[in-house]
Amino acid sequence: MTKINVEKKIQSDNETIAEKNRRVFTDGDVFVLNIISSPGSGKTTLLEATLDRLASEFNILVIEGDVTTERDMDRVRAHGAGGIQINTGGGCHLSANMVSEVLPDLDLESADLVFIENVGNLICPATYDLGEDVRMVLLSTTEGDDKPMKYPAIFHESQMAVVNKIDLLPYLPYDIERAEKEVRVLNPQCEIMRVSALKGDGMDEWCDWLRGKLAAKRAG
Amino acid sequence: MHELSICQSMLDIVERTMNQHPGAKLKTIRLDIGKGSTIEPILLTDAFAIITEGGPFAGVELEINSIPIGGSCRACGKSFTYQELALGCPECGSTDIVIESGMELDIRELEIDEPEGDTEKGREEE
Repeated sequence: MTKINVEKKIQSDNETIAEKNRRVFTDGDVFVLNIISSPGSGKTTLLEATLDRLASEFNILVIEGDVTTERDMDRVRAHGAGGIQINTGGGCHLSANMVSEVLPDLDLESADLVFIENVGNLICPATYDLGEDVRMVLLSTTEGDDKPMKYPAIFHESQMAVVNKIDLLPYLPYDIERAEKEVRVLNPQCEIMRVSALKGDGMDEWCDWLRGKLAAKRAG
Repeated sequence: MHELSICQSMLDIVERTMNQHPGAKLKTIRLDIGKGSTIEPILLTDAFAIITEGGPFAGVELEINSIPIGGSCRACGKSFTYQELALGCPECGSTDIVIESGMELDIRELEIDEPEGDTEKGREEE
């Protein structure tokens, strides 16, 4: 019996491809956001609201990840985005490889911002780096305020957490302070923001954050 | 439910490692899986049985070392592991903590039977 020391991350192949994607994105001088949330927390609505405010200022591409249908792609196209739909055909997350396969179809040279809308799922996408600049988790007040501790990996791995649907706070038992505290305990470096993509609360601050991230990336 | 993808990625690495040991028989794969990693050991073991069935790795033992979520507290300076995740340091209650373990998804080591008296030949073939 011989022991072979491997000491390797299971995700190391995905990470290698993600690094290649990251170089392609950096060559294209774009800022890339990987948006992860449970289904129904408002990822596509946030993208629509963002496009309504920024599509005249920036060239925006969206990579839409869904199990099936082009519905989300149709929605963001109607608000001025270019981009491409990836159907995972049952797969519960995007992988770096899936993203690398569609990169040749994207005009990164003329783009400024790239949003990757991951498959609606708080578990599986957490361990798949896609080559993004920032991994963001979207929460919403219609979910429980105890989600961060129940799905620790995604909150530990994200650099940004946005709480959506804050216009509904007066009608719901959602304790936003508790949700934010749980995020901070899991990940003290994670930035936190509150928005209502539907009603517009916090959207100016959100758009400024995106402008700042793009400017910072382009400044090197 | 991404245990099948994770299992496939793990087997890709195992296969590449085994290619460097021609003729050897794989007995055990040892993994470090963090309790916060979102990978459920039972589902991973099921996925492993499904993927390896009828292939060269059928019947190989999968040993999963489950690593608790742990960290250190910047307020009281103590290190800790959680039995269950809590809103702060289990010692002093401060929320000024850093999670340092429990997110692992690693292949630690393989246990193999080298081909008897065939080690040199194996190396040459490589």
